[in-house]
Amino acid sequence: MIKLGKTLAEKLLGTHTETGKASAGEIVDASVDLLMVHEVLGSRILSVLEEMGVEKVWDPERILVVNDHWAPASDTQSAEIHIRNRRFVRQQGITHFCDVDCGICHQVLPEMGLVKPGDLVIGSDSHSTTYGAFNAFSTGLAATDSAIILATGKCWFRVPESIRIETTGRLPEMVMSKDLILKIVSDLGSSGANYRSIEFHGLTIDSMSVASRMTMCNMTVEAGAKCGLMTVNDAVRDWVSIHAPSAQWTPTLPDTDAEYLETIKIDLNSEPLGPIVALPHSPANGRPVSEVEGVRIDQAFIGSCTNGRLEDLEIAARILKGKRVNAGCRMVITPASRDTYLQALRSGYVETFVRAGAVVTNSTCGACVGGHLGVLGPGETCISSTNRNFRGRMGHPDSKVYLASPATVAASAIEGVITDPRRAA
Amino acid sequence: MPKGTGVLSGRIWLFGDNVDTDQIIQGRYLTILDYSEMAGHAFEIPRPEFAGNVKRGDIVVAGENFGGGSSREEAPHVLLELGVGCVVAESFSRLFYRNAFNIGLPALIVPDITNSAKDGMTLEVNLVKGAVSVVETGQILHGQPLPRLMLEILRAGGAVPWYRKKKRKQS
Ligand code: SF4
Repeated sequence: MIKLGKTLAEKLLGTHTETGKASAGEIVDASVDLLMVHEVLGSRILSVLEEMGVEKVWDPERILVVNDHWAPASDTQSAEIHIRNRRFVRQQGITHFCDVDCGICHQVLPEMGLVKPGDLVIGSDSHSTTYGAFNAFSTGLAATDSAIILATGKCWFRVPESIRIETTGRLPEMVMSKDLILKIVSDLGSSGANYRSIEFHGLTIDSMSVASRMTMCNMTVEAGAKCGLMTVNDAVRDWVSIHAPSAQWTPTLPDTDAEYLETIKIDLNSEPLGPIVALPHSPANGRPVSEVEGVRIDQAFIGSCTNGRLEDLEIAARILKGKRVNAGCRMVITPASRDTYLQALRSGYVETFVRAGAVVTNSTCGACVGGHLGVLGPGETCISSTNRNFRGRMGHPDSKVYLASPATVAASAIEGVITDPRRAA
Repeated sequence: MPKGTGVLSGRIWLFGDNVDTDQIIQGRYLTILDYSEMAGHAFEIPRPEFAGNVKRGDIVVAGENFGGGSSREEAPHVLLELGVGCVVAESFSRLFYRNAFNIGLPALIVPDITNSAKDGMTLEVNLVKGAVSVVETGQILHGQPLPRLMLEILRAGGAVPWYRKKKRKQS
């Protein structure tokens, strides 16, 4: 049988191969538009480059280096990694560099206008799936593959099969795209989309902000997906015209006769979605908030490449305004980037948070990776707007992390126990 | 990979389903620059005795979705560093699978392996055929033969030598 219709993944990858084609299951060599590397550069990639005998990177204008995971350095080792990154950037004449003052890679890359619809973007980080929100093919690879891309601008990819998810209907008040993706990841299971592309369609997705879309594509990797892809909407058009005004691009759509492994339909009108909380120790452990209400927490965290953007801080500020963080717990808020931080300052959110008793940190991965600025101790419980709650992810192996939307995290911080944000409204 | 036959044999360390990258090596150890130091923390959460007791050639056997989560190459690397000969699982996360071959650690998919393999028993692995046998019980299980590209990368000794060879051929 000859298959003619192409999925988004096949089309987006296809425009980057020599033949101009890519079909699911095939292994192709593709040219990358942009490679993002963070601390993995200094800690692992540089030694691989050395082993390969590479002296010059393939294109210093198509590489973004970010010091974000332990920013500013939390110990001498991360300090050394940052030194190596800075030296490499200088030696190679790399154009795009974000030092410790910029923020989290997946937020700063789009802010710098380094992704546009149709691109193939690779990052040395599993949450590089985030840029699918911009109608780009993007995925994470590790040190060796990143080194090969740094050297050649190319890498091999197995073209993924696709799962299509169509969502219609509105998200109710205090329910966010985070709740929707937690539900989807839990329905699929933590390996339900392994090796696959998740294609999001439907009016719900079309009417979403860029931030809400990024949250969803970010978390597709928690179901094992290679990428999470969306078509262009007005919010993306606006974003690209502001952040990459001179970029030339055309939107990519899947063919109407494209072949999917599975099509999942979600109708939020007939089955309204409530807040979802993923229980320890898997992002696929999502349950309605009602099942965990009352669980005592030691820390509430809002931040990360999943939910540290302005709309996340905005809803948290609405909930926390004039309130106090419960005396039995602490709250840490980490804006995803310097730009986000500045906007939150101007909007008065930072003052609201500080007055409520929250600690507002600089923009970094920080607590999300158990690195610094909010590490959990033995036996502690955290409710977090991040994407992973593996055992030990945010600190001590005997700590517990519940994943939720920023609204649920903020409402819980006030009560000191997991709380339905619809009650805080 | 062992030159020639592609047959390995070693003591089994048995793990369950969904062993994520933080179980293999926690994020907080990623700033350690020396792999042999980092390897001392391998499997610290699920099996703290692992790093001290694992012997060269031992085989990690696991259930579904081994290595899910982070893209960190440190996960297969600490296992390689400790001398693990091969990882056999019912399924792998895509990143762990790819990373393992890139650094020269074979990873084989064998359905239902956790029902037949017991901790401490010996497993014989034929990478080319994709078959394993549990020496103590004589039970043979058939997995998926390695894809051609993975075999090619493994034979070269990992993605870096594979890349060098490819480049030499081109020039
Ligand atoms: S914020 Fe967390 S998930 Fe995102 S890139 Fe940083 S460590 Fe990874």
